Amino acid sequence: MASDTSEASSSTADVKLQFAPFSSALEAGFWHQLTQKKLNDYRLDESPKCIKGYYYNGDPVGLPTRLTLEFSAFDVDGPTPARCCPAVGTLYNTNTLDAFKTTDKKALLEKEAKEIWDAIQSGAALKDPSILCRFILLTFADLKKYHFYYWFCFPALCFPEGIKMVKQPSVLEQVFSAKEIAALQEAYDGLCTKQGTTAVPYFLIKYAGEGVQMAPLREWETFFTHAEKVTVGVYDPCTLSQHPGWPLRNLLILLANQWGSKVDTMEVVCFRDRTLQGSRSIQHSVTFQVKLPELPNNSVCPKSVGWEKNPKGAMGPRMVNLSECMDPKRLAESSVDLNLKLMRWRLVPSLDLDKVVSTKCLLLGAGTLGCNVARTLMGWGVRHITFVDNAKISYSNPVRQPLYEFEDCLGGGKSKAIAAVDRLSKIFPGVNAEGYNMSIPMPGHPVNFSQATLSQAQRDVEQLEKLISEHDVVFLLMDTRESRWLPTVIAASKRKLVVNAALGFDTFVVMRHGLKKPPVSQNVSAEADSSTSCSSASSSSSTPAGSAPSVPGSSLFSNIPGHKLGCYFCNDVVAPGDSTRDRTLDQQCTVSRPGLAMIAGALAVELMVSILQHSEGGYAVASSSDDRMNEPPTSLGLVPHQIRGFLSRFDNVLPASLAFDKCTACSPIVLDHYEREGFNFLSKVFNSSHSFLEDLTGLTLLHQETQAAEIWDMSDDESI
Amino acid sequence: MFNKMSCPALDEPGFHACCQLLLQQSEQLGDGWSWLELGGGPGEEGSEVGYLKKTVLRSVAVDSNPVQTQEASGSETEQTSILQPEAQDTGEPASLNADDLNDYIKDEDAVCTAVDINSQVLQYEYHILYSCSYSTPVLYFRAFTMEGRSLTLQEVWSSIHPNYRLCLQNSPLTTITQQEHPLLGQPFFMLHPCKTEEFMRPLLQASHDQPRPVNYVLSWLSVVGPVVGLDIPLKYCTLLHPASSLSSAEPD
Ligand SMILES: [Zn+2]
Repeated sequence: MASDTSEASSSTADVKLQFAPFSSALEAGFWHQLTQKKLNDYRLDESPKCIKGYYYNGDPVGLPTRLTLEFSAFDVDGPTPARCCPAVGTLYNTNTLDAFKTTDKKALLEKEAKEIWDAIQSGAALKDPSILCRFILLTFADLKKYHFYYWFCFPALCFPEGIKMVKQPSVLEQVFSAKEIAALQEAYDGLCTKQGTTAVPYFLIKYAGEGVQMAPLREWETFFTHAEKVTVGVYDPCTLSQHPGWPLRNLLILLANQWGSKVDTMEVVCFRDRTLQGSRSIQHSVTFQVKLPELPNNSVCPKSVGWEKNPKGAMGPRMVNLSECMDPKRLAESSVDLNLKLMRWRLVPSLDLDKVVSTKCLLLGAGTLGCNVARTLMGWGVRHITFVDNAKISYSNPVRQPLYEFEDCLGGGKSKAIAAVDRLSKIFPGVNAEGYNMSIPMPGHPVNFSQATLSQAQRDVEQLEKLISEHDVVFLLMDTRESRWLPTVIAASKRKLVVNAALGFDTFVVMRHGLKKPPVSQNVSAEADSSTSCSSASSSSSTPAGSAPSVPGSSLFSNIPGHKLGCYFCNDVVAPGDSTRDRTLDQQCTVSRPGLAMIAGALAVELMVSILQHSEGGYAVASSSDDRMNEPPTSLGLVPHQIRGFLSRFDNVLPASLAFDKCTACSPIVLDHYEREGFNFLSKVFNSSHSFLEDLTGLTLLHQETQAAEIWDMSDDESI
Repeated sequence: MFNKMSCPALDEPGFHACCQLLLQQSEQLGDGWSWLELGGGPGEEGSEVGYLKKTVLRSVAVDSNPVQTQEASGSETEQTSILQPEAQDTGEPASLNADDLNDYIKDEDAVCTAVDINSQVLQYEYHILYSCSYSTPVLYFRAFTMEGRSLTLQEVWSSIHPNYRLCLQNSPLTTITQQEHPLLGQPFFMLHPCKTEEFMRPLLQASHDQPRPVNYVLSWLSVVGPVVGLDIPLKYCTLLHPASSLSSAEPD
């Protein structure tokens, strides 16, 4: 058999045996478990810990020789995966990166090598040869960054002059017949059964005719009689045809120590055993004929090697950054993104999520509407949310305003804008939220009591102008109508998309403001009859934001492009500022049905998302209720101008209305004054009665001309 | 195991039976599936909460593999170089005090340099769990580098062969979501089971029309597995057919 042929070609060049080192392979579960152990068990304990890995001899060609550590590595007495050999190791987990660096690697290696050597000399390794295949793992776990530094060592004792091959290595099927290979496999399986395992790391082989006998190492003396050629088998994780794997190294040291004086050349069968597509083969196992060197001094531990090289091929540790899969904050972020992507993959393939996620939203008002809008924005993955509110959280708020709790009301109450930001960050740390505790100056609410109040108002205006400039969408979510005036003017002037939501007791309006065309084309939209609004459904119920008569069934105002749409104030025939006259329910927001703010808040965000999905954005033609039957303009459906909801009827209608050329907020004359005079103009509005704006825009004239206004007011009164 | 006549749902004992069958066959074929049980508390004995697991290694060419390069585009630029953060921390070379080790070790003669720097080995881990809410098996999977870093979904996609990628995009199973593993509490990707019944129904109907033993989990796996690069050897079927002792899977 193989041993016979070896003699013939002993003239083969003086080639030394080269071993394929182990590559460390860590499963993600290992790092998770190490983290748990460090946090709950080891804490600051740096003492060495016993862990377990395994290696496998059934890999397809091309895979590196691996020593694998998984989730179960800390359960040393636990089972080893079937057909794998266990390798016991020592874990040194340091508390600091510095300790990791300064740990004496040489000493660690020598300590481990000494233990192997002692086991060889004492005969313990003969009884349990798995001692020969040990490892060291030096780690530092930076659990703030989820960076794990590690360095493996696979201690191997060395022959100073190496090991000479007396013949080129041969693959089993080149030197053995199929019958002999089958016999070898049968003998190995028999040995496994006898030992009650599914893998044996080291064993003795004897050929007898076509049969093969195997025995554990400890039976050497009785297994080999004096005249025989010695053959040992090693469970070999290497897949290279010219090289044995690492586990053979310490075995050869053991053999040299125990029987070096008796054995000169010997055969090693590197046993490889793989199953591909259901068929098992061992014929790719490799045999080596080697000259077993003598150890220079049989009582002194040989030199040892084994620290693993890093991926660059240098002697050095490795680092793996697991923040992506272990940092809860990062996990939350990627899960939120993935959830949204799921919506795109499954339901709306053309959804442009980036457009939504990257939109910067300014929420003016952090009350019932603001809280609900913020939560829905978070649901859409919007990361940039800014609150403006000057109120403090009161005891009645938390039950209706989902970003606050009882604790927030104590001690006079926290600022809503600030508390809302804190809560958003707790819900989702990836959010980029800011809060501004400031008031928004209002028409008819004088700011000229003193120089101080005046300059404060000026600062507030500047701050608001800055915020509106910095954001993409402005949400008007305040509880007074007149506080919506200033941001409506600024946003109209800056051509920012405005989404407005207002509540009555059981009615609401959610609308987008018309987005004026860029300033260059100063086309004054002078629709002759724009004083009326178009509602595709007549509403008898009270509606917020004042009410204009609806024109049932009118088709005159269908297909209004976005730049011709009205704002919140366009429907009004009175200027904001006169609260006593204002019939809207804005100011009684807290008496609305509790579900209303959630419905309206959610609709406000969904309206924004639908607008963003339209190729023309804020310039999109307003969809009306009639369009419900038509092909929707976006992947998400309609892009209405307004959604008016009537909770008593559980009904929504989608009116659209033109911009009003006498509007107290968005008419050209107001914008023109604001753009030319700035704060001077604004302060006049703040300090004057409502008649100032009405005179400016021509509303006063309109009042005088039209008696109908009285009737409208009366109808308002009736329905309230 | 289940009543194919009425509805192709799978109950939990049925799932376990299917898994045991699959395990036996995997054992014969050396296909590498194993059954793992969660070490429940003393009171939870016999609760049979477990899952099938298989690990597959794949060598991926580094140049065509974006696992490393893609990171530069993300926020985790530091990952592109394994030891960069450390070098930043201290200004020291990354090799620590390895120099004296190098002096000590004159072992290069006895070591073969077999490491192929042009390829990277990735580990894919597949878990099959039972979902009570859907009454179907669910495939969880994750992939990681030899260092134990999980691949992002983007990286998993990129590491999947282009052919599969195409099939994945067009498949009704493109519902991969990131979920916490219900038993391990670690982040995994999951093929969402909402479509399972949809594609299992005709499959089971066909087997009912032409009676032959069917292993629900195996049939299901043969559909969902290839989508995420998990091949199911055909030999499972040839093993299944002659086994008349498995008739418990047959109707009546
Ligand atoms: Zn207007």
